[in-house]
Amino acid sequence: MLALLPHIVGVYFVNVFVHFAIFALYAVSFNLLLGYTGLFSFGHAMFFGVGGFATALALVHIKGLPILAALFLGFFASVVLALVLCPIMARVSGTAFAMLHLAFSMLIYTLALKLRNITNGEDGISGFPIPPLNIPGVISFDMKDSTNFYYFAMVVIGLSLWFLWFLTKTPFGQLMVSIRDNAKRVAYMGFKVPQTKALIYVISGGFAGIAGSVLALFQNVIAPDLALGPGTSFQVILITMVGGVGSFFGPIWGSAIFTILHEFTSRYIKEVEMLMGAILIVVMLYFPRGFAGVLELIRKKVFG
Amino acid sequence: MDPTTVMYITQGMHGLAYGMVLFLVASGLTLIFGMMGILNIAHAAFFMLAAYFAYQITIWTGNFWMALLIGPILTGILGALVERYLLRKIHSLGHVAELIVTTGVMFVILGAVKFFWGTEFLYVTPPKVLNWSANILGMTYPVYRLFVIFITAIVLAVMALILFKTRLGMVVRAAVSNPAMVNALGINVPLLFMFVFGFGSFLAGIAGVTIAPVLSVFPGLADQMGMDAFIVVVVGGLGSLAGAFLVAMVIGLISSFGVQFLSQMAPLLAFAFMAIVLVIKPMGFFGERE
Repeated sequence: MLALLPHIVGVYFVNVFVHFAIFALYAVSFNLLLGYTGLFSFGHAMFFGVGGFATALALVHIKGLPILAALFLGFFASVVLALVLCPIMARVSGTAFAMLHLAFSMLIYTLALKLRNITNGEDGISGFPIPPLNIPGVISFDMKDSTNFYYFAMVVIGLSLWFLWFLTKTPFGQLMVSIRDNAKRVAYMGFKVPQTKALIYVISGGFAGIAGSVLALFQNVIAPDLALGPGTSFQVILITMVGGVGSFFGPIWGSAIFTILHEFTSRYIKEVEMLMGAILIVVMLYFPRGFAGVLELIRKKVFG
Repeated sequence: MDPTTVMYITQGMHGLAYGMVLFLVASGLTLIFGMMGILNIAHAAFFMLAAYFAYQITIWTGNFWMALLIGPILTGILGALVERYLLRKIHSLGHVAELIVTTGVMFVILGAVKFFWGTEFLYVTPPKVLNWSANILGMTYPVYRLFVIFITAIVLAVMALILFKTRLGMVVRAAVSNPAMVNALGINVPLLFMFVFGFGSFLAGIAGVTIAPVLSVFPGLADQMGMDAFIVVVVGGLGSLAGAFLVAMVIGLISSFGVQFLSQMAPLLAFAFMAIVLVIKPMGFFGERE
């Protein structure tokens, strides 16, 4: 089904689908913190944006960099950022965790806006070369072609999502949930809570970085307001909440809902913001567990 | 006086005026948080809406004082309605849900403002009595800014009087420190919540109307003030009025002197300040609760 998609629908919808997949990965990485470990962040966009910027900057400054290396640099930059921040972040939780993220993400956002000679200010970096995917001597795919890029993005995002899903099924995944439910008890049982939180934090940041990196390659442009700003941090909270925090697939549903909404509303009406706001209020009032919660409810009603 | 001193005093006054308005916005935010545990994302949107009310009422009545009277009251009523019909229903679902709903309210207000008034800059002229520049000790200073400092100081004094000298203020302070206990003592806490939320929005409304002639009215008005008020409340310690006052003044001065000395990097200062304080004291200067 996924493999056939480019042959069924046009280029436009293939691109819409890639956009959906990028934000699905971004939201799943966020949900690893919020849904699984119970850490609410106001600034997840900093990992997303830093990943994107690292990829873009690497492609601008290093000639002939292969695409996978650029992708890896995006991942690596976000991991480094998470490693730098985790000694501070692993100590706190709740409001302080959310607020520290707000502070650091706004700091990075403002830096990206002001360091014009590196990031080009509000305009961001655009027009950097997109290298082809090379397996030396065997085959080379042109990544400027949107169908080829679609397959590339699907493999990268699919593998990432599979890895994260696998992670939640391991004993380590159980540990995340138990930290959310009762951190003190986990500590008494002999697990090291701050270290575990730090590890989850680094994983979550790294995969948000991959999502940002794919976004930069996909759009061939990365700008502070596109991937690094407070809007992007909020977007992921909304996607996750509307999709459903309680489940692994909730954020993916959320990303699909927001992509579809955006496609329809931006074409027919001007007041997208008002509609988004109204949807948020209605979802919270009547479906607090999000779309995944509604699905669960229907399944219980129908299948007993 | 030599120009450097004049510059210092003028910038100091600007910082003071901004800090006072910032405190008005932040005090509503911190009261609401302290009492209900809600971080009201829509707070700055109420502030912006009040500025638009000021514009509209001044056009209809031709009288700025009318706007100063009616604008904040309308904002306050709207805030109380939001609490009564939206927030109260999801209170049991926890803080993240409340956060999302207030975010939704913010988007709706932002969309409504763009729908009714468009996105262009609108100008509110201050009343004639205040629309001139005073000549104090050899430097000129717009009187309206002095009026801003004056009116916020009055509101502050009245608020302090209510909070610390009346029975209602005593109940509010008690509910800020321990809502469950106040409820157990037989006080109608939901009603109190509605009142405090309305009052917080009312304060944001006063700030919005007062600042409208200085900053002009446009949808982006909420962004800077919202972010700064957020920083003030968080760094001062959530729920602490004294902390909010202190930090509002610091942020006011930081932003006014920052523009003078480091025009490029000025926006960075406030966030750097917030990050440093939170790393050292995760609960803010005077914060006690999670």
